[in-house]
Amino acid sequence: MGEPAATAAILAAAGVLLVLAGLASPLSNRLGVPVLVVFLALGMAAGSEGLGGIPFDDYELAFRLGTIALVLILFDGGLNTDPTVLRRAALPAGLLATIGVVATAALVALGGLALGLEPVTALIVGAVVSSTDAAATFAVLRSSGVRLRESTAATLEVESGLNDPMAILLTTIATEIALEHAVGAGSVARLLVEQFGVGAVVGVGLGFAARGLLRSVQLPAAGLYPVLTLAIAFLSFGVATLLKGSGFVAVYATGLLLAAGPLPYGAGVRRVHDALAWLSQIMMFTLLGLLVFPSRLLPTLGVGLGLALLLAFVARPLAVAPVLALLRVPRHENAFISWVGLRGAVPIILGAFPAVSGYPRGDEIFHLVFFIVLATSFVPGATVGWVARKLGIADPSPPPPPASLELVSLRDLPGEFVWYHVAPASAVADSYVRDLPMPEGCLVTLVVRGRDVVVPRGSTMFRAGDQVCVFVLPEGRPLLDLLFGGAPEER
Amino acid sequence: MKISDILVQDAVILDLTARAKRDVLAEMAKALANAEPGLDEARLLDVLAEREKLQSTGIGEAVAIPHGKLPGLSRLLASFARSREGVDFDSIDGHSTHLFFLLVVPEHSGGQHLKALARISRFLRDASFRKRLLEAATRDEVVRAIEEEDAKF
Repeated sequence: MGEPAATAAILAAAGVLLVLAGLASPLSNRLGVPVLVVFLALGMAAGSEGLGGIPFDDYELAFRLGTIALVLILFDGGLNTDPTVLRRAALPAGLLATIGVVATAALVALGGLALGLEPVTALIVGAVVSSTDAAATFAVLRSSGVRLRESTAATLEVESGLNDPMAILLTTIATEIALEHAVGAGSVARLLVEQFGVGAVVGVGLGFAARGLLRSVQLPAAGLYPVLTLAIAFLSFGVATLLKGSGFVAVYATGLLLAAGPLPYGAGVRRVHDALAWLSQIMMFTLLGLLVFPSRLLPTLGVGLGLALLLAFVARPLAVAPVLALLRVPRHENAFISWVGLRGAVPIILGAFPAVSGYPRGDEIFHLVFFIVLATSFVPGATVGWVARKLGIADPSPPPPPASLELVSLRDLPGEFVWYHVAPASAVADSYVRDLPMPEGCLVTLVVRGRDVVVPRGSTMFRAGDQVCVFVLPEGRPLLDLLFGGAPEER
Repeated sequence: MKISDILVQDAVILDLTARAKRDVLAEMAKALANAEPGLDEARLLDVLAEREKLQSTGIGEAVAIPHGKLPGLSRLLASFARSREGVDFDSIDGHSTHLFFLLVVPEHSGGQHLKALARISRFLRDASFRKRLLEAATRDEVVRAIEEEDAKF
């Protein structure tokens, strides 16, 4: 095929796949499985053994795209971590993301050994599947209409952010061991310190520099800000990796630092990175679906199923519960966190690492990991809502805000529009707008009641079920949260 | 409206024995019901728990303001309790909570409810007031601290 035609064919195929992926996403709600599984299935269907018949077994390309995708996903994860949530959950999540990840990896590796895998293969598989994905959990929760208590949600969210770089680190190291580049405890420890240390230093350093830069430059167009943040993400990954550190640790740290301070044009920047992260996930999952040969999944059925069950019922609970018990997390909450270690995009992308690095059994590992992730999204994944309700830690979720209002400005302006939901137990229920002790500089701007929009006057009464949009300055937020009963967070 | 006017002095607890969120609410509800005969303790606890489900009233800085509406009540009631060890109240800043102001109001108390909440939270934003409450040795010292704060605004 000549040149415009070849590119056109690829773009057309990608377009068809993405449209199908988008159209298929409502299916996940109905089936109660993470939406990404639907993309995987689509990729498989389009693949050489499916209806599409597209032949694809280029691990090299998948790896390169996967790395870019991971950088974008991790940076977005960091960028979306609320600093107050991070501080709250730092201790439990930090322990889970370090001790928890290592323990999970070790337990799965032991299970793999017991099921007859080669020691090195077992080690890699353990490392690859050790990270969790909160987005998968939250997506399933949202579709089953339950809301988690804040401390539980915060722990899950921060854990899943922090443990991605950790799992990547472990996988890199396990692969190094497999290729006999790192032999002996000494060199493994050095590798660990080097990867983590250099990654963290570069990530934090660049994060601070980027914050200063973003605050001092005046770009002529709002659209240039996300370009700058994207460049920062690439730089962070690139520089750290070239200096022999973990670029993934670096890019996540940079994202966290940018999120911790005021970010000019923050809402717009975040939206662009959210979109990039989604695109990365869809692209990766569809691509990885293409890469899988269902016929090669069959031989891994026994071991894969065994490891998936082990991961869900033994490894995750054993690695998590003692840590949380030590921190005196209430028992039912502990049980829930131990149960919902959903796996997402990261392990599947990591699953392709060994094959690309030239490990001879890489193909087997990839198919095994693929199977494990798929199985865990069906077993704990499909039961998340039910378990949350059973354990009594789910709060009935309030309806999502009916509209979105946002202050868009090139300069950093104080204040934001917050949507409050009036519940029967809210202090404001059945009182008049004029009775609301409004903090200085705050204003009730809009009341949405059912399908009606009410322009609030002093004589307007807040009724249970109302959605109220309030312009809030940061100092006024705590009192309004107390009076309304908190604003439902968007997840 | 002054907080000292609605504070039920006999329900003030200087040393909570409760160590968990639900138990704190129960202990305070019980103390309030003992001091105010006719108050439906079980119902009060339900109302408070219902509000906590929306979002913790632990507003940070070691302070929580559990509150709710109780049908049939004749006037606003407030009580105070203190925990020396601190309790995990699922507070929004993630730290443990030491000072508790409970507010319970009649069903149709209109703006009174909101004003009382705003007033209590304004008092508690003042670090020196929190310190006085934390260090008060007797019930009278607590009451005096609240009265003096009332006189300021």
